[in-house]
Amino acid sequence: MSGAVSKIELAASFPTLRDEDWKYTDLSRPIAIAQQWLDSGSNEQPPDADLIDSIKAAADAAWIVIANGELLEASSTGLQEAGIEVSLLSSDEPAIDVPLANLNTQFRTGGIRIRVIEDRLDQRPIGLLVIDSAAGAPVMSQARVDIELDERAAARFIEYHVSSGDDEHYSNSLIRLNLAADASVEYLRFQDRALHHSQTARLNVRLERGSRLTHGGIDLGGRLSRNDLKIDIAGPDAVATFNGLYVAGTGQHIDNHTRVDHRVGPAVSDQEYRGILSGRSRAVWNGKAIVHRGADGTDAQQANHNLLLSERSEIDAKPELEIYADEVKCAHGTTVGQLDERALFYLRCRGLDESRAKRVLTRAFAATIVERAPIAELHELIGERVEQRLRELGDAS
Amino acid sequence: MLNIENLKVTIGDSEILRGLSLSVKAGEVHAIMGPNGSGKSTLASVIAGHEDYVVTDGTVRFKGADLLELEPEERAREGIFLGFQYPVEIPGVNNAYLLKAALNAKREHHGLEEIDAFEFLKLAREKMAVLGMDPKFLNRGVNEGFSGGEKKRNEILQMAMLEPDLAILDETDSGLDIDALKAVAEGVNALRAPDRAIILVTHYQRLLDYIEPDYVHVLSEGRIARSGDKTLALELEEKGYEWVREAANA
Repeated sequence: MSGAVSKIELAASFPTLRDEDWKYTDLSRPIAIAQQWLDSGSNEQPPDADLIDSIKAAADAAWIVIANGELLEASSTGLQEAGIEVSLLSSDEPAIDVPLANLNTQFRTGGIRIRVIEDRLDQRPIGLLVIDSAAGAPVMSQARVDIELDERAAARFIEYHVSSGDDEHYSNSLIRLNLAADASVEYLRFQDRALHHSQTARLNVRLERGSRLTHGGIDLGGRLSRNDLKIDIAGPDAVATFNGLYVAGTGQHIDNHTRVDHRVGPAVSDQEYRGILSGRSRAVWNGKAIVHRGADGTDAQQANHNLLLSERSEIDAKPELEIYADEVKCAHGTTVGQLDERALFYLRCRGLDESRAKRVLTRAFAATIVERAPIAELHELIGERVEQRLRELGDAS
Repeated sequence: MLNIENLKVTIGDSEILRGLSLSVKAGEVHAIMGPNGSGKSTLASVIAGHEDYVVTDGTVRFKGADLLELEPEERAREGIFLGFQYPVEIPGVNNAYLLKAALNAKREHHGLEEIDAFEFLKLAREKMAVLGMDPKFLNRGVNEGFSGGEKKRNEILQMAMLEPDLAILDETDSGLDIDALKAVAEGVNALRAPDRAIILVTHYQRLLDYIEPDYVHVLSEGRIARSGDKTLALELEEKGYEWVREAANA
């Protein structure tokens, strides 16, 4: 335990509501958890073996299990996988100078490095199972992964977040993903944490010439969930496609911040996030695209659509385009609304009762993102979890 | 089958139907014509159960029961089908899913078992062949990215699958080229049966060249101004709607 860290120093590692990027997301709860963990907590929590087994049974992947921030070797099936090298991350990896990344650097006790050498797109995905638990005392954990793809290497990844335990938990993960020229990644982040746990998760991506990222991010769980997806387009002809879905019910706060730096052109970034908000819930979507000077031929598209099932739910949606180049194609669109009355009437006229028609339309709104997500073999599992979550929310509202 | 008496309907502050009466028997095909704003589409929507329209007076009885008491989905299961003037696009809901859900909702209501998956596909393919529709439409989102003609064919496909007792086709001919019009008409004609009634709501006489009605009614200012056989449609085509209004007011 890092007992030498004072509470003042700890609080300085967190952004506050005064920071422009954090004005809608209050981290006072994670800070309190971090303080209690410093005082009395421990990361030596027994991992939830049943949960690990059920996920491994549901999805065939080369699993690398990270339990409360530490590699759980005994449960990991992906340490000897063909075409990749997995090692422990040394403590002197380059720093990322943003507050929560600093927090991760300061408190992480584990860390994994994955190098992809070959094209293994047609093989099973590499699964990062970020599993946390808190029993007996509040716990803070710091998962940390560095992924490098060699030139022309390709792989599929699942970043799967779950948690259990009655006490409070705060997870702050930091993942770096660097794609060398002509490398390719399909990446699915699925956040299905316990509803009383909180998380902040950062994925920093760097795309070199001709490389390609397809990303899908799905958030169902967590009391507070904040995702930062930062993509640096560092080489021409790179393509980044990323879509997201968040489903929130009473007491949940889900914040997605994306930022794409188009440093060179031509290159493409294309994102669509969708949210379904029910009860007293809140979501934030902030999509920033910066087209730097000289990045001609940039094509940056942003869309965010929200379905508000309750008058008490709230969305703060903000597209931000900063363009310093001449020849660019950029567009954004944001919508907030209820179910389409015309579609509801149409379905009822075909014999579906009102509640079923509403369910069908709500699921259809979510399904378009799930269907577009990478790792097709997980669509059924995710579709079922989305369905289950929507049913819970429907029952509660 | 359908008996409408002195029906008065408002939407917002305006009265659209002002005492409309109409009787449709099994086996009959009725065409309801009239200028824009005469209340044709309102009539179709009220029969289907659209909640924006308020019935202030009159009765609508379907197979002897009070239709106005029923929710739209109950009317559908009882055998009423509305073919929409503007079929709604529903991305994320697969066409086959909707067809099957609609069919099973009706079957369940009538105490029948759910349709078996193979039987369903066989039936859908048969009906699609009649309408000249590619089977791949089954796996697309409902009306998603369909052309105008494809949307109307899709409405007729749903009707053919559901085999309603009373079909109301609201401006099904609008926006169709001649091939689509013929295909749609063929689909409708295939459904003509002694135990089924069809109401065609249309602005133009053109559709009636392909689907021959037993009766033609002309709506004007929220009432049926004139009724007759198919020759009335031809007369209308020649003399225009102004003629009916003048005759009604005279």
